[in-house]
Amino acid sequence: MTRNPVPHLPRMPRRTVLGGAAALAAGFALAGCSDGGDGDADAPRERKKGQKITLTFWSWVPGIDKPVDLWNRKNPDVQVKVEKVSAVNGEQYAKMHAAIKAGNPPDLGQIEFPIIPSFLLDNGLLDLAPLGAARHKGKFFGWQWQQSVFGKGIYAIPQASGPMGLFVRQDLFDKWGLKAPGTWDEYEAAAKVIRKKGAWIETFAPTNGNRFSGLAWQAGAKWYASHGDTWLVHIDDEPTRRVADYWESLVKQKLVKTIPDRQNAWYKDLQTGDITAWVGASWGDALLVGNAPGTKGKWRAAPLPQWKAGGQVFANWGGSTTAVFAKASYPKDALDFAVWLNTDPASIALLIDGGYGFPSAKKGYATDALDVDKPFFGGQSYSKVFADASAHVDTSWRWGPGVDTLYQRLGDAFTDALADGSSFRSALAKVQRQTLSDLQGKGLKVESGG
Amino acid sequence: MTRPTARARTTLPPVRYRIITASLLTVAALYFLVPVYWLVVSTTKNSAELFGTFGFWFAGHPDPLGHLADVLTYDHGIYARWFANSLLYAGIGAVCATLLSAAAGYALAKFPFPGREAVFNLVLAGVLIPGTALALPLYFLFSAMGLADTYWAVLIPSVVSPFGVYLCRIYAAAAVPDSLLEAARIDGAGEARIFAGLGLRLMTPALVTVFLFQFVHIWNNYFLPLVMLSDSDLYPIQLGLTSWTGYADRQPVLYQYTVGGAFLSVVPLMVLMTVLQRYWRAGLTEGSVKA
Amino acid sequence: MSRDTLSRTAPDTARRPDTPGRRRRVSRTEARNARAAAGFVLPFLALFGLCFVAPIVYAVQQSLHRTERTGPLGLGGREHEAFAGLTNYAHALADDRFLAGFGRVLLFGAVQIPLMIALATALALLLESASARGVPFFRSAFFLPYGVPGVIASILWGFLYVPGISPLVKIADAVGWDVDFLSRGTVLWSIANIVTWQFTGYNMLVLIAQLKSVPGELYEAARIDGASAWQVARHVKLPLIRPALVLTTVFSIIGTLQLFAEPMVLRPLASSIDSGFTPNLHAYSEAFVGNNPHVAAAEAVLLALVACVLSFGFLRLVGGRAKERRR
Repeated sequence: MTRNPVPHLPRMPRRTVLGGAAALAAGFALAGCSDGGDGDADAPRERKKGQKITLTFWSWVPGIDKPVDLWNRKNPDVQVKVEKVSAVNGEQYAKMHAAIKAGNPPDLGQIEFPIIPSFLLDNGLLDLAPLGAARHKGKFFGWQWQQSVFGKGIYAIPQASGPMGLFVRQDLFDKWGLKAPGTWDEYEAAAKVIRKKGAWIETFAPTNGNRFSGLAWQAGAKWYASHGDTWLVHIDDEPTRRVADYWESLVKQKLVKTIPDRQNAWYKDLQTGDITAWVGASWGDALLVGNAPGTKGKWRAAPLPQWKAGGQVFANWGGSTTAVFAKASYPKDALDFAVWLNTDPASIALLIDGGYGFPSAKKGYATDALDVDKPFFGGQSYSKVFADASAHVDTSWRWGPGVDTLYQRLGDAFTDALADGSSFRSALAKVQRQTLSDLQGKGLKVESGG
Repeated sequence: MTRPTARARTTLPPVRYRIITASLLTVAALYFLVPVYWLVVSTTKNSAELFGTFGFWFAGHPDPLGHLADVLTYDHGIYARWFANSLLYAGIGAVCATLLSAAAGYALAKFPFPGREAVFNLVLAGVLIPGTALALPLYFLFSAMGLADTYWAVLIPSVVSPFGVYLCRIYAAAAVPDSLLEAARIDGAGEARIFAGLGLRLMTPALVTVFLFQFVHIWNNYFLPLVMLSDSDLYPIQLGLTSWTGYADRQPVLYQYTVGGAFLSVVPLMVLMTVLQRYWRAGLTEGSVKA
Repeated sequence: MSRDTLSRTAPDTARRPDTPGRRRRVSRTEARNARAAAGFVLPFLALFGLCFVAPIVYAVQQSLHRTERTGPLGLGGREHEAFAGLTNYAHALADDRFLAGFGRVLLFGAVQIPLMIALATALALLLESASARGVPFFRSAFFLPYGVPGVIASILWGFLYVPGISPLVKIADAVGWDVDFLSRGTVLWSIANIVTWQFTGYNMLVLIAQLKSVPGELYEAARIDGASAWQVARHVKLPLIRPALVLTTVFSIIGTLQLFAEPMVLRPLASSIDSGFTPNLHAYSEAFVGNNPHVAAAEAVLLALVACVLSFGFLRLVGGRAKERRR
């Protein structure tokens, strides 16, 4: 759908009011067959010089308005309008899928790495390769650029990643004679000590499939692969089971809470010191600063605990891209904006201020510029921890279609497992079965991997 | 003991009964008012105090006016816009729904036309179908018509009230005498004029009920706008507030705004409810007696 | 609301026999009637068709189709709709989570609706029998929550449920009572509480309206016969407010099946609420998160069917009983 030049005036063609039946019939016909390609009416247009256009951009990143305002000041002809979408439980993607299905998506959208293949399944994203996007490749970290490359197509411009790390309450750890755990065994040992002191090391949020996938990634899991035309899916591979066993054991020993993370109760526990650590990611600093202001100066960032002592294996949680939707009216301008947003030093500076994560761009900022709130972390140059992690992320990990459903399945399965005490392994096996059937249901060729 | 006479009604029941009644009513009132009390207290707090202090008492520096002003000015005053949108959807939607229902109910009650019972049964089925089951297909339909993500997407479904038609038919059948209509016809008045001049006037109590019912229904509706709207400029309040809680973890001040916004949106409706109580009574009596 | 009502309220003209001498005049009147009626009914019917009938037709059509994809790995290829028969229904009915959601909602309805209606009735009767002073205050206090939309009520109660923040939990802790409003076992009833809180006052008001419409002499007659207050309530008032009880119950049944906003808002706060907590939430997740509109359409159709069957079934049930009693 092309947007009305005056978007907010109620408008309705007379025809649809009067000839209800005729319009209905037309509606069925239109909705009944969703065409994969671009219809004539939606053919991409080239902006004429001096022509003023407005692009809509769906995002949930809090400070995103600022760089967009800057762009709008610099580019009076190509105005970008941000529409905020909620990011709770994948609502933003629900809206985007629906809008694509309905034929009226925005021009640009914020989409996380794992979700890109799901949108390819709807033919929802524009292939930017024909517009010459490949020439921007060198500006970004290679593995992040690769997250949105499928076959010969380039489907999004990377914005930020989320290298994982461990946030700890240094003051409490010191008081109890603990060091930030370097391995997962040490993490468990620390959890026991902390539990004895009446606090908790943290929570295993059953509904957080996103973080769980990051932990599996670190352990060496390979959830998706492809073979010819067939997707290979392996959610319950050996490394993933290892991660599941580990957290199940912590839960069964009552060493971790099982409340949802990043919600009121969790923030409250952070404030009161009831929860003393968090396996988080680079973008987590903003959350801590904003939601636990009373703990200023007491936090430190440490590397993610390792499976092998002295290891250097890291993973990613979150990370997102700026994608152009297939029906964008002015794809070239949309691409220009997406590249500018994620590479222009002034834009990156504003994004960093908003706490958006770890830039995908190689240049245009200094690592210590990412230390937005050093005093909160007792003066630590905490971004260095994440920069190191970023350099050692296992880049062979691939995402496949339907990850948003997968997260939901994982969340439901872990919720069930916690409720009836069944094993996390059986939860994984269940999710594996469900995922195969989900993808088959979407008309894909799928096999169990491994 | 003599039999109680008619006067006994005016004498008060025994003290024991009165005490039991009063205490039961007080307990119930506590239950219904405590969350409202919490809301009032919380409006005076900022986000940190919201999470850090006892919920049923005020924090150190209550600043309700300052907080509410923040709610109203945040993001270029988007809250006021949501409020206006809610008023627009509920107000216009309810007025149109009332008029449409009145006309349809009046015709169903007063004109024997072929297929009348079929139409009425259809309407009854409409009352019984959960609106949310329709919202998804309606979204795809409206999208195909280019209406999704516009004011119309919420307004059009809001003006259809099968329950309103049902109520209006019942009421019109009882409250609009055929003889009066006949007399007007003999005087040469057209049907439209008879309806506008006579029918609507006689049906007023039912119309007030239908209006209120539909107003609250639209005001409270969450699923339809959630599915239909993506442009936050078109949001009604509920959707706006949930979108605030949706990214409050990145911007904790939004928790405080959500609570303040909830307070601001709830107060006028509660006042309205209380003031208009007697209309609910008047209209629904007629409707439900006949049911 | 029952079929009985229809024939009772239909004006007599509908059944007036056509005598041969009058036929001509009657047919002219009928034509005139039909034209006028059409003018009044059609605007509503057109929109009713658009907003109720068309979506149902569309949902049924969608539920009988599925998407097929081509192209490497199914990505970037063309997709087309193919007839799927009842496979979407089979898929929905084979999904334990969807069925569990139905079970949950039915359990919810079986417990919450009688409780709420009983509470509303009790409050209505209490208010009716209480001395005049304070009655308006109490009535307003009970009705007040009806002005709080479901979403806001859930946000509000959410704050009162979350451990660590909730003053209620804090008070319970202080008296040594360990409560968790959001655990697997309790969360459904926490939601039931929100719904009860919101709608009891409204239902009470409908019942009071009906009580007021009963002529006062009836109560007096009963009292003169020596009936106690309790007996009057049980044997005179309750049977009289039956129609209003039926009305409120039917609306509660429909409302219960639509349960969505409350679990949706509480979901981030409670890991015990899964994506299929209610059938409606499940359909929403299928359609939008799972991007599976065909299955979602099948689920919406099933939901509408169950709602109709339950509501009509309830009306039948009470209608049948009423007839028996009359005999």
